Amino acid sequence: MIRTRLVTSAFWLYLGVVVTFLFAPLIFVVLFSLNKTASLTFPFHGFSVRWYRAALNSPAVSDSIVNSLRIAGITVAVVSVVGTLAAIGLTRPGFRHGSTIRVMLLAPAALPGLFIGIALLTFFVAMHIQLSLWTVITGHLIFTLPYFVLVASTRLARFDPLLGEAAQDLGAGPWLTFRRVTFPMIAPALFGAALVVFSLSWDEVLITFFTIGNQNTLPLVIYASVRHSVTPMVNAISTLLLAGSILTIFVARSVVVAVSR
Amino acid sequence: MLVTALLLVPAALLLYKSFKPSLGFGITGHGFTFDSYVSAVETPTYRKVAYNALGVGALAAIICTAMSYPVAFFINFRLRRGRDLALLLIVASLFSSYLVRLYAWRTILGDHGVINVGLESLGVLKQPLSFLLYSNWSVLIAFVNIFLPFTILIITSAVQNVPIEMLESSRDLGASSFKTFLKVLLPLTSAGAIGAFVYTFILATGDYITPQLLGGTSGGFIASVISDQFVVAGDQPLGAALCFLLLLVFALTYVGLTRIEKAKVA
Repeated sequence: MIRTRLVTSAFWLYLGVVVTFLFAPLIFVVLFSLNKTASLTFPFHGFSVRWYRAALNSPAVSDSIVNSLRIAGITVAVVSVVGTLAAIGLTRPGFRHGSTIRVMLLAPAALPGLFIGIALLTFFVAMHIQLSLWTVITGHLIFTLPYFVLVASTRLARFDPLLGEAAQDLGAGPWLTFRRVTFPMIAPALFGAALVVFSLSWDEVLITFFTIGNQNTLPLVIYASVRHSVTPMVNAISTLLLAGSILTIFVARSVVVAVSR
Repeated sequence: MLVTALLLVPAALLLYKSFKPSLGFGITGHGFTFDSYVSAVETPTYRKVAYNALGVGALAAIICTAMSYPVAFFINFRLRRGRDLALLLIVASLFSSYLVRLYAWRTILGDHGVINVGLESLGVLKQPLSFLLYSNWSVLIAFVNIFLPFTILIITSAVQNVPIEMLESSRDLGASSFKTFLKVLLPLTSAGAIGAFVYTFILATGDYITPQLLGGTSGGFIASVISDQFVVAGDQPLGAALCFLLLLVFALTYVGLTRIEKAKVA
């Protein structure tokens, strides 16, 4: 009995260490974003919001936030439509070449962003396509679609196809069946998948770096300022980025809880 | 299908480009040549950075996979009420910006960072441990930090399908915990373990941001070299060739591991 307890405590301890390890960096960023002085070292000289004020007053930062939101918004919209169709197609029984298409759809998730980035860059340059936010969105579509399909199709696989058939037997057309039966049942899963896509796009650096023109996204602003200078403003901007991601999860969670009740 | 084509066409173009001669300064000539592949394989510098990146990537993948097993076991078999919370915390860390975390490790590991200042004020250290930052160590720590949530989720869902009775009967028959893990749990979840390993290995080795922000000056990383060929007017065919060779290594690793797994199971 004592031994079991000991083992359980050891597991708890281990879990605690892992979670601390995962969160430690984030805690330091938030802490230093509130630092009064410009130093990035201990001891701490008191709290202030001056770095937030500096960050939000900088046009480069606010422009990049708008760009990031635009990219993530359009990516989510397109991926949601394409991904839903793909997920429904894949989970439909008797779908031909299903496994091949599945591998093709999911492959970009297992490719380094570097590869997707330079392949797209080469392509856009060869086609004389001006790099812009649209080229970034193309990259984000390719890289987020697999995640959407993966998340959505796990849920769809549990959806009983008989329900759809029953609706059709009762005289509903395919569109009506989708709108009144299938869609309401898979909506939470789709919403969850869309949020995953949003946060992936919101955070993306590797592909964006290669496919963007003269504009900037929030992660790129952070990347540039981390490389060139060390100012506590980076902490404030990072915290803003973080806040965006965390907000997404909480929205996701509360929606899932609300729907499942 | 269209979205898949969006990637396939550029990939084919890149492959085509890798066989073109380079005229320097980002200009690509005409004709067909294996020169880029030859110089990619034969230049010692590229070999060195490739081994370095593959080594750190593989090590990160092994550490992540190994660290995930106890968590997955605990979450699946020991936790009831805490299960959702534990998973939520792990997912939450997954969603928190990757760049922000890299930046944070700089503040933590630096000469005036939290670890060094903390240890110095405790009197453990006289001089800061400079090897912590801008080295393979800092890159490795960051990789583990970034990819651990992914591997925990992959391994957790793999372990979920293992009935606990199988582990219990192994223990009842006298096997030690470690032997049970090695002979029962690991073979039953080998697909998940391979998935977690390969995922981390590919994404860590192909990452060029982490080495650039946290890596040292001595050991370069192959991804940065590839990226330089495209960003700083470089030798694009060479960059493309290096990229495809890297993909080949990834594919071979995956196929090799799956073969071994199948052979073991059969």
